[in-house]
Amino acid sequence: MSETLSGFTSLDESRLAELDRKYGWSLNTAELKQAQAYFRAEKREPTRGELETLAQTWSEHCKHKTFSGPVRFRGKRYKNLFKETIVKATRKLNRPWCLSVFKDNAGIVRFGKSGKWGLAFKAETHNHPCAVEPYGGAETGVGGVIRDVLGVGLGAKPVLNTDNFCFGRLDSKTRLPKNALGPERVFRGVVEGVRDYGNRMGIPTASGGIYFDDGYLLNPLVFVGCAGLIPTDKIEKRTRPGDLIVSIGGRTGRDGIHGATFSSANIEEETSSSAVQIGHAINEKKVLDVLMRARDRGLYGALTDCGAGGFSSAIGELGSETGARVRLENAKLKDTRIEPWEIWVSESQERMILAVPPGKLSALEDVLNSEDCEYCVLGEFTSDKRLLVSFNGETVVDLPMAFLHGGLPNFEKPAALRKRPAHSPLLRAPVPHQKALLALLAHPNICSRHSVITQYDHEVQGGTVIKPLQGKYGDGPGDASVIWPHSATGDINDHAGFAVSHGFNPAAGRIDPYLMALYSVDEAVRNLLCSGAEISRAAILDNFCAASPKDPEVMGDLVRAAEGCYDAAVGYGAPFISGKDSFYNQSKDASGREYPIPLSLLISAVAPVEDVRRAITINFKEPGNTVYLAGVCRKGLGGSVYGEVYAKNDTLMRPLDIKAAVKLYAALLKAVKKGFVPAAHDVSQGGLAVTLAEMAFSGGLGAMLDLAGAASEKGVLEHELLFGESPARLVLEVAREKEKEFLNLVKGLPVKRLGVVLEAGGLELRLGAKTLLKEDLGVLKGCWKKDLL
Amino acid sequence: MLIEIWTKDALAVNEKRALAERLSRAGLPVKNVRLSRLYSVDAPWSARDFRALAEELLTDRITEKYSLSNRPGLKNLYRVEVWLKSSATDVIGESVKEAVHDLLGRPPKSVRFGRAYYIACASEAKLRAVVTKTLVNEVVNSFTVKRL
Repeated sequence: MSETLSGFTSLDESRLAELDRKYGWSLNTAELKQAQAYFRAEKREPTRGELETLAQTWSEHCKHKTFSGPVRFRGKRYKNLFKETIVKATRKLNRPWCLSVFKDNAGIVRFGKSGKWGLAFKAETHNHPCAVEPYGGAETGVGGVIRDVLGVGLGAKPVLNTDNFCFGRLDSKTRLPKNALGPERVFRGVVEGVRDYGNRMGIPTASGGIYFDDGYLLNPLVFVGCAGLIPTDKIEKRTRPGDLIVSIGGRTGRDGIHGATFSSANIEEETSSSAVQIGHAINEKKVLDVLMRARDRGLYGALTDCGAGGFSSAIGELGSETGARVRLENAKLKDTRIEPWEIWVSESQERMILAVPPGKLSALEDVLNSEDCEYCVLGEFTSDKRLLVSFNGETVVDLPMAFLHGGLPNFEKPAALRKRPAHSPLLRAPVPHQKALLALLAHPNICSRHSVITQYDHEVQGGTVIKPLQGKYGDGPGDASVIWPHSATGDINDHAGFAVSHGFNPAAGRIDPYLMALYSVDEAVRNLLCSGAEISRAAILDNFCAASPKDPEVMGDLVRAAEGCYDAAVGYGAPFISGKDSFYNQSKDASGREYPIPLSLLISAVAPVEDVRRAITINFKEPGNTVYLAGVCRKGLGGSVYGEVYAKNDTLMRPLDIKAAVKLYAALLKAVKKGFVPAAHDVSQGGLAVTLAEMAFSGGLGAMLDLAGAASEKGVLEHELLFGESPARLVLEVAREKEKEFLNLVKGLPVKRLGVVLEAGGLELRLGAKTLLKEDLGVLKGCWKKDLL
Repeated sequence: MLIEIWTKDALAVNEKRALAERLSRAGLPVKNVRLSRLYSVDAPWSARDFRALAEELLTDRITEKYSLSNRPGLKNLYRVEVWLKSSATDVIGESVKEAVHDLLGRPPKSVRFGRAYYIACASEAKLRAVVTKTLVNEVVNSFTVKRL
């Protein structure tokens, strides 16, 4: 036996907690006692490796025990919050085009008409590592999510990376605690990490967003995503007893020890540097190339990535139904000064585990050698349903799979409803509208992201049809990216593609987490619509980030947002196909007080685009075309950027009528597909005035528009009309010669004419006879086009 | 052998400005800055071999210059040299090591990649404080400051 923890079975609660802190397992008392009870029944003491394995497997990162556990909220008990909201919506919708959901490393939906292809999509976070080492954290976040797509089914070929970040304000004056990195430092490192990994892998990074708020000052959020194409006959995977356990890719070292358990802990001042992971994109590219060749030759029966928990999680997961026998002395090591249990839980990057029938090893070795990709045979999958791990004959782990995967104790978490902030309406605009528009365009959450986007190679693979920067000059904002994945299908005569977009609104979440979820799903779906995607086939991902779930109000926020996710998914007919959550995003500030992030929910959406040649962008296209506003302008500035700048106490957020939105969007999509709508842009951050300004300066065309005709709730004030962010609205440019047919399609819907696109001049917004604002396009664009980096 | 590579002065305006702005935002206004890439190649080879490496592999000779000794022409500046700690995987160093092997047909013992920043300022103490806020992360980097 390797290092045995003598006396573990007789420790009292306080000694158990002390041991947990010493080894950094992040197990709670109930979990430690469960482990203790198991080894007592076995009449032996555990090895260090066994407790490390339990800590990894039972970690928040691997088991999602907060979201998947029981919770009581306002008299209602959820046995499994995740299953009873997110999964339930998908089950209820029961879409036949959902090919694999919630059971693999990524969700898969049908792609194209041939029936040959599936589209895999996954997004996850890498928050804690990025707070400690932004560059390495972001790189390995990207590497990890790419491996999720490589490890779904028998392997999908990545065709798109996505990136969404939350940082503290770059102009923040808040004093930081010792060892905390400043927001600019984190921002720069994260962008460089995402850039270097994606670019070196040859995968376009072409869809994302950046959000600045001081709530993220100590805990940045880094959401990274990946989409890939997989043949539909390669979706099922199966590990068979006798299959060899083959590790391919990077070597194992001491980097990244305890990454999984790290994500179950708050970040404190002295965070261990061993939790830092280092990425090596070239090694992962070799893995990608090997897998695509070996998959198509049927050289393995199952695979998964080594992510959090390293070998322990990957082999434990692949062998959960069979059993596994692992000999760690066979592992390829970066450094021989490493303990056996460290080899077992190390999170060294760029490693995948394959289940290889013995008769196919030789052929696989040929492929590996031809790609210069390192590998080792660690052992074999068995049929005894036990995990047996040894190092030179000494036992490191000997546990039944049933206990490893089913022994995690469940405990109910209390949840409480957070008091909604008081509402005090802003009755009069505090500054002229023109000045407000310029200020909003320059606001860090609205201004151009070109200095970040242009660092990414978003053209590699040659399929980025609708790009993140759009318009006449290729520098306007985009709502969605459209990808034509011919590099994966190999068919340049098939113009089927897909669009990817996001919805994110933590400012709304501070007021009402339920509405935040609704608004975020709506925004993601609306963004897809603005590219011409088939939104009736939209599929979505949820990525929740929150502070410590030990705080009942944090749990209450989570429950409300999850309930919102269910209602929105069912309402829009958009099933969740995958998701992830990250908790404990809080740290102590310079004064020693807890500094939690706001509840943050990223909705990432994907939908097919029948013919990528007919996809549309946001910029005005032609003078003389008509401008329409679809949707109803409502009262309230709650969650808006205008509210943040000028009306902090206006917290009114109106409910979202999903049924009406779905009806509206269905009609608009028909118009887009018929080619009546050359440009569309959603109304979101900054409101209608910002949307119109972006459409105008991106197209280099002016517009004179009268908002008096806009469909509005009774009593909407001028500044609410211009800058309010009520959802379910978008602006459309309609081709002059198709206006009549367009109007027939939208008859009876809140779609109102605002005016026309002009060849010259700036943007003029009127309310009947009154000019609300008038500004030159160069001035508008000059305010918006700031260098963030 | 330490191979130092830098952008020719006429083409380095933007990178110098960006570095000066970063330092300034962190509280160290500076006028004169320079940047270099560093490759520490551990191999028992001749200067001619290292020159071949620098010229044929590491330097873009249209836009860059290199030196096998101290970068010439710089004085009254602090030289801040930043490296990854030996415990951190040096991905660029590893890739360069493979490329060197391909070029010369012999593998070096190791290659490490680093950066040098040349900064004119009044206070070394303040420079050190700002460097830790902007240019290095002491979790993974080590650095030295030397007065030229």
